[in-house]
Amino acid sequence: MAAAGRPSSRRACPAERKRSPMRIECRNISYRYHAESEPIFENLSLCYDQPGFHALFGPSGVGKTTLARIICGEIQPAGGSVTTSRTEPILYTYNLERLPDWATTGRHLERVTPDGRAGLRESLVDIFDIRPCLDQRFGGLSLGQQNRVNLLRYLLQDFGFLIMDESLANVDEKTRETIIMHLKELFRDRMIIYISHNLVEVARFCRQIAVLRSVSKQPRIVRVTGQDLRLEGRPDRTALEKTMLEMMNAA
Amino acid sequence: MNGKTGKRNSLLAAAWILIVLTLAVAGAPEGRAWAGTLNYRLKWIYNASVIGDLYASGKGYFRAAGLEVKVRPGGPERDALRELELGYADFGVASADQVIRAVAKGAPLVVVAQLFQVNPLQWLYRTGKGMIRKLDDLKGRTIGITYGKNDEIIMRTLLAKAGIGRGQVEFYSVRLDYTPFLRGKVDLWPVYANTQAVFLRDKLSRAGEETALFVPGDFGVRFVANSVVTSEKLFKRNPELVKRFVGALLAGWKAALDVKHQKEALAILRQVDRDTPLRILKTQLEITRRLVMPRSGPPLGTIDFEGWRQTERIMLEQGQIKAPVKILSCLKPML
Amino acid sequence: MLPRRIYQFFLIYLLGILVLLSLKYGLQLSDYVIPGPKTLWQTALEVFPRYALDVWNTLQVALIGQVMSIVLALAIGIPGRSTTWFGNFIKAAAYNVQAYPIVAIAPIIFILLGDGFLSRLLIAAMICYFPILLTVLGVMSEPVADVEHFYRCTGRMRWQLEVKIRAFENLHKLTTVIAGSATLAMAGTIVAEFIAANAGIGYSIRIALYQSDLARILVALLLIGICLSVYQGLLEHTGSLVKKAWTGSA
Repeated sequence: MAAAGRPSSRRACPAERKRSPMRIECRNISYRYHAESEPIFENLSLCYDQPGFHALFGPSGVGKTTLARIICGEIQPAGGSVTTSRTEPILYTYNLERLPDWATTGRHLERVTPDGRAGLRESLVDIFDIRPCLDQRFGGLSLGQQNRVNLLRYLLQDFGFLIMDESLANVDEKTRETIIMHLKELFRDRMIIYISHNLVEVARFCRQIAVLRSVSKQPRIVRVTGQDLRLEGRPDRTALEKTMLEMMNAA
Repeated sequence: MNGKTGKRNSLLAAAWILIVLTLAVAGAPEGRAWAGTLNYRLKWIYNASVIGDLYASGKGYFRAAGLEVKVRPGGPERDALRELELGYADFGVASADQVIRAVAKGAPLVVVAQLFQVNPLQWLYRTGKGMIRKLDDLKGRTIGITYGKNDEIIMRTLLAKAGIGRGQVEFYSVRLDYTPFLRGKVDLWPVYANTQAVFLRDKLSRAGEETALFVPGDFGVRFVANSVVTSEKLFKRNPELVKRFVGALLAGWKAALDVKHQKEALAILRQVDRDTPLRILKTQLEITRRLVMPRSGPPLGTIDFEGWRQTERIMLEQGQIKAPVKILSCLKPML
Repeated sequence: MLPRRIYQFFLIYLLGILVLLSLKYGLQLSDYVIPGPKTLWQTALEVFPRYALDVWNTLQVALIGQVMSIVLALAIGIPGRSTTWFGNFIKAAAYNVQAYPIVAIAPIIFILLGDGFLSRLLIAAMICYFPILLTVLGVMSEPVADVEHFYRCTGRMRWQLEVKIRAFENLHKLTTVIAGSATLAMAGTIVAEFIAANAGIGYSIRIALYQSDLARILVALLLIGICLSVYQGLLEHTGSLVKKAWTGSA
């Protein structure tokens, strides 16, 4: 992964030369919230160049969600471009989403499961530990349960890239860990970008970590390599601490 | 707050509203003096039917009698008699049926003059289906009536008099829209002979249709129309003022209907009715003259006691009032 | 809910009568201006059965008129929710039609449809539909981003689903305005009957007004109030049943 605040000073994506099979690249993105306001991004470039579980990290208010919405095409930047190496959709999900309350969550999940993915759905229901929620309506669930149900329905869809914006908020640490570990195994060939404020979690589980810094800092994005811990793997405490330190210094 | 306290508070609030309203009302129009401007509420909006009232005001007849009078237009939503009792008006114009109905309910009213000697309420019809020379000629026709108004009472009286029963005529409920009559859906349409009838006849004659008026008075039904009314209180406390008002008013009417003053009268009418062509206004004025000052009739303003007696009797027969009201005792001619 | 509505109406009505009576006795007014309790009672006995039938007649028209106005508001509000040229055109047309006072349009309606049932129905629907239309337009043109996002980004969104989501999320608003518009439907029908009709309580009120009979008008108002309270109460109850069935909540 490569990132830069000024495209002229840094190469946008070193892995580009390798022609990686999976890549998402933002080039010279410029954006401001209102015509009169200061730009939140100016010639911002960022690239994730491998499948896997990556992260977009940074303090509140630096524009992580805005950048995510630009990447998935929900917001049009004033300048720059977003390119991907595949034609599969980029999905973006966030933690405030709701399912309509006119049916149970189980019924909703059934209705949005594409043909042939009922098995995947059942596996995910168990991994996400939401089987007791299936007979209930979304409004009756706890926030953590709601976020898990919401994320699960996205994972059933066709996607090449998935941006999870605080999608596991309010979920307990152990369940979060289980979910992330299984996602990494089940979706090895996809790219998942995890937006979270949880320093330890991001450092521990993510592979390419883009630390988005405040507007006043240059470069805007600093690249950190995460520990990318897997199911069978054991955490290297020293390396983890080093990653965390790098992230903290970058932010 | 528990439910009981809430209920008690609501009741207290309601009681307070009631007290405040009652106190507000107690100081309302009761103590009105007649030293200032007199309010004169007409029966209808400004048109040829009120030319004398407008003339008296516009040409200074009231002022000459030492009175300051504000002539206010009437209309379907105005009730001069109610305003008299509430003190919002000092004099008003109403038809006999309105007065009798009010007196029947205890309204303290006095009739001081009668403006129309012939009731202008008549029925317009096309002569194509034959002239109506006797009441029997009404049979088989569709007759427009305004349910609840005096034209209903008059027509029912006429039909009862001729022994025409249900099924021999058809009634049509009338509103302000003349379309059903113009389209020939209704044969007889109630009109004021001096106002609506003039422009309707003009319209139909230009379309090549001949029309005539069915006049209830020709068949012995004398239902009294516009009369000048005041409150019993004013009449008793200040009869001299009432006399001056009536004198000035009738002088105004007389002058307005005098052919010599036709130009001025038309100019006044034109001021309040800009939409009606002058030739129509002229005809309206001429017909008004015949209704208010019939050639062989009594003097202007004369109260037709027999007409009032008959009106009361008809209303009693029609069930419009439950008992006799002795209306003659309310008639106080000021001539 | 229903008994409370009726009880509240009776309280307001009684308060109104008390104010009128205090006016009457405070100013020593005759029965012609304000009827006394005895006249009121006698009039009530005399006209109650006839007026009850009249109110029932009016209610029937109001009910059909309200259904019509709901259908009309949905038919305009759903395509009008979009920001396309057509959506804006529909909105502008709907607002323009509403800008004309009904008394000005009424004569045209009577010429076209006569003075019978259809005219009453149309006028009732026209008076009643606008607040419903405003709510429908408001509800339908306001995205429920947190719910719609998934369907949009996965390409599952269809207009039917969009309408369903927005209606569901604003169910309380919709049921409230529909229950509230019952008053307007009733008022609209009465206005239509008052202007031109040969039936209904509006027509009876017009006759009573011609005869300056306030007692009859007060009896008519009592019946209209009771009828409207029951009707609105039933609508609210139906609304809560629909809500309960759809949301599965109590």
